[in-house]
Amino acid sequence: MSHSPSATHSKFFTPGVWVMLVFMFIGAVAVAARFTWGIGSVTNLDNSHPWGLWIGIDVATGVALAAGGFTTSFLAHIIGRHHYEVIVRPAILTAMLGYTFVVLGLLVDIGRTWAIWKPIFSWNTNSALFEVAMCVLVYLHVLYFEFAPTVGEGIGGRVKTLVTAVTDKIMWIFIILGVVLSCMHQSSLGTLMLIAPTKLHPLWYTPLLPLLFLTSAIAVGFPMVVFETTLVSSSLKLDSEMKILTPLTRITIFILGLYMVLKVGDLVYRDVLGYLLDGSTQSNSFLVELGFGVILPWLLLITPGVRKSRGMLFFTCCLIVGGVVLNRINVFLVGYHSPYAQTSYFPAIGEIVVTAGLIAALMFLYRLAVTFLPVLSASKQEVSS
Amino acid sequence: MIRLLNRQGVSVFAVVSAMLFCCNSTQASSTSEWTAPDQEAAKEFAALPVELIVNIKDESPYERSLRLLDQGLSIKDMPSHYFLLDSPIIKKQEDRYGPVRFMHAKHARLVRDCAVCHHYRPEDPAVKEINRCSACHQDAFDPRVVDRTGLKAAYHLQCMECHREMAKGPLSCTGCHDKKIPDHVKLIKLVDKPEPSQVTEECLRCHENQGRDMLKTAHWLWRGPSTHTVGRSKEIEIGKGTIAFNNY
Amino acid sequence: MKLNRRNFFKLAGVAGAGALATGAKTAEAWESKAPKDPFGCLVDLSRCVGCRKCEQGCNEVNKLLPPERPFVDMLLLNEKRRPDANSYTVVNRYFTGKSDEQDHLLPTYVKIQCMHCQDPACVSACLVGALTKKESGAVHYDVSKCIGCRYCMVACPFEIPAYEYFDPLTPRVRKCTFCFERIEKEGGVPACAAICPVEAITFGKRSSLLDQARTRMKKDPARYIDHIYGEHEVGGTSWLYLSDVEFNKVDFQDLPSEPIPKLPETIQHSLFSYLWSPIALFGVLSVVMANAKSKKNKEDES
Ligand code: SF4
Ligand code: SF4
Ligand code: SF4
Repeated sequence: MSHSPSATHSKFFTPGVWVMLVFMFIGAVAVAARFTWGIGSVTNLDNSHPWGLWIGIDVATGVALAAGGFTTSFLAHIIGRHHYEVIVRPAILTAMLGYTFVVLGLLVDIGRTWAIWKPIFSWNTNSALFEVAMCVLVYLHVLYFEFAPTVGEGIGGRVKTLVTAVTDKIMWIFIILGVVLSCMHQSSLGTLMLIAPTKLHPLWYTPLLPLLFLTSAIAVGFPMVVFETTLVSSSLKLDSEMKILTPLTRITIFILGLYMVLKVGDLVYRDVLGYLLDGSTQSNSFLVELGFGVILPWLLLITPGVRKSRGMLFFTCCLIVGGVVLNRINVFLVGYHSPYAQTSYFPAIGEIVVTAGLIAALMFLYRLAVTFLPVLSASKQEVSS
Repeated sequence: MIRLLNRQGVSVFAVVSAMLFCCNSTQASSTSEWTAPDQEAAKEFAALPVELIVNIKDESPYERSLRLLDQGLSIKDMPSHYFLLDSPIIKKQEDRYGPVRFMHAKHARLVRDCAVCHHYRPEDPAVKEINRCSACHQDAFDPRVVDRTGLKAAYHLQCMECHREMAKGPLSCTGCHDKKIPDHVKLIKLVDKPEPSQVTEECLRCHENQGRDMLKTAHWLWRGPSTHTVGRSKEIEIGKGTIAFNNY
Repeated sequence: MKLNRRNFFKLAGVAGAGALATGAKTAEAWESKAPKDPFGCLVDLSRCVGCRKCEQGCNEVNKLLPPERPFVDMLLLNEKRRPDANSYTVVNRYFTGKSDEQDHLLPTYVKIQCMHCQDPACVSACLVGALTKKESGAVHYDVSKCIGCRYCMVACPFEIPAYEYFDPLTPRVRKCTFCFERIEKEGGVPACAAICPVEAITFGKRSSLLDQARTRMKKDPARYIDHIYGEHEVGGTSWLYLSDVEFNKVDFQDLPSEPIPKLPETIQHSLFSYLWSPIALFGVLSVVMANAKSKKNKEDES
């Protein structure tokens, strides 16, 4: 084996971790308020704005950014580019945690939290949300399964043997299933808003929305890996993994390019370019999304120098990730126009702290996992002598 | 009960409940003490069942007025000067307001043209020319006569549109109707021999707002002896605003 | 073992190809699921006198909480209201410039409630099927299935469903029920239509209401504008409106005549009927994976 992941066993309670704990605590307070006085007490949601930050960020963006999991496992396991295997484990960990938090976010957001199991028995196959729900449910467990060997190895001994014995033979099913399920619900998340043709701004409302969601999710997969690998290796002082990341982003050029062509082509085809320069919040937000989130990073990526420089690559990937985040926010929040709203929506402080708390908890668990489980493969930097 | 309260010389609830009892008693007295001689007949007429005329003659209002003139029908032929609009057809669906006392003759003399209200005639030539409203207008949404309004809407549309056009006659509900006051004997729940404060409390159970309003009136806020009430000027020395007895 | 696995991969590949074939067949045209002969209501704005009795009747029949301000309080008409968790219907007043002979501005009153769409977006959206379109025409909400995701609210083009945002555990979606328990009984009439003093709300079969609306327009063409709102909007709605003023002046939207669920349902079904595409993708991926693996094995051996 070309890689051998190991636990980092670095110091756990760094100041950063304490900051996360504080955020988690504040978030928990807001969650407690939500379950005491209702959603209305901590959010700015109303009958005109039924979906807010929690759906836009926690769910839609969470799912999109967890795309690193299935894209890397496709690359390394299905088409057999085994030298990428080092990034699969952290990507799977991110995806697993990401989806866990999607579900946690949903639990806070839906009105009848205790009824979350009902879609399993009560189906409406006409609903894109039904499909998203089922896929997320199954995929979450697929991810747990895919991550199980890592946990097994971490514990070691008999557990390890047992887990490997179970997972080894059928892992391929789960790997493929993970990719299939991801393709399904990443695209169906885009179908979600097609039910609101009169409410979603024409810059985003297109029958291509499912395809755009899927391509953007695939496109953001590797940049997300770069993003977190760079962050983690800096914060844990690990060796940088540029020799893997640089070729990885070569692939992104094509997918991001495809996304760009689809998106621009769609605008031209539907003849809505006129909306681009009308100066509204929506059109500005769209311009930022397309310009700084897609076109600029694509131009940067095709420059070989950028791909080789750690800093520039990180910056570019941040742009791509930001572009996809903004896209999801745009589709679910900025582009959503209520015909009768008397006020416009801006997330309440309660919504923001819950989201921040969830993200902090995710980072906390990530750190916990890489510290004590064999997730990362890079060796510790030699302290320069 | 009013007497009982007066004797106690306690006032808030007296006023609040008096408001309520007054409403009841005016209604009660109007029916029990004196009734207009034609009221009973009007009541009976209102309750008479009528057979629905399904087919009507299709003619313009102008044609109809002319035809009535030709036949020599005019307001002199009016069978009754007064109607009580109290049809069981309406009460079947909704019964929130008292019946309307409709001055037929007065309206006829103002309008002069029967065809303004009696706007169509039955298709069957054997049936008489002018019929009461409920001959054609009965239940709402009757599938036998889809394009025709029910009796309640027919009244309201006819009356209100004309009142508005002529800028005469009431447009609000209570301009024509008595509001039906529910029987408070059934609503009030009191223990035997209630304390005065318990009575107030019971009134306030429903009339909370009225209770609050009451506290802003002179009845409640007035201080000092009632100097100008002949014969009572010495009885109340300090005024209601200063007695703590009711202030709970 | 290895052989077996490879055989399975092949099988999966075949299954995938089969699924592809079925998929091509299932991508057939979308069909409306609207009931053939539903009930409806025809609201005639030129008749409505703004008395708010319909709000009162609705409140009583549906056992909603007593309102903060009584129903006789007409000052409420100074603000534009929307149906909310405690009122399934509201009446708003508009001054559109219409006036009488003395140049007094005349108000137009508009009663709003669920339109009971023929192909409702909310029904298509609800992932658990808590919302259903009944044969009677009523779009019915079943709280026992609801999980509170509020996707129906996102979907409704009329922005009708309201939510109990301040109930921590058992909030409900609230909207006009079309008094389905009443109308499904012989001779039953929705509370608002029954109480209306001027029959501004006519209850009946939708087809008959359309005829009646046309009759009214023909009899008095000067009174009505030539548009029955809801006849074609979003594929047709069970509740219809007749008006004496332009609809866009009284906050009605210009809506497409295509049923809202058509596009998303077409996409959903052409992609996922019988799960053909996931199965096909699974098949293709397993073949790819098997090939990659055997290549690697060969490399390892050599
Ligand atoms: S009850 Fe009829 S007239 Fe009164 S506000 Fe409602 S629709 Fe208008
Ligand atoms: S108006 Fe809205 S809530 Fe009512 S049936 Fe149509 S989509 Fe559903
Ligand atoms: S149909 Fe029933 S529920 Fe709907 S507005 Fe009328 S009274 Fe209310």
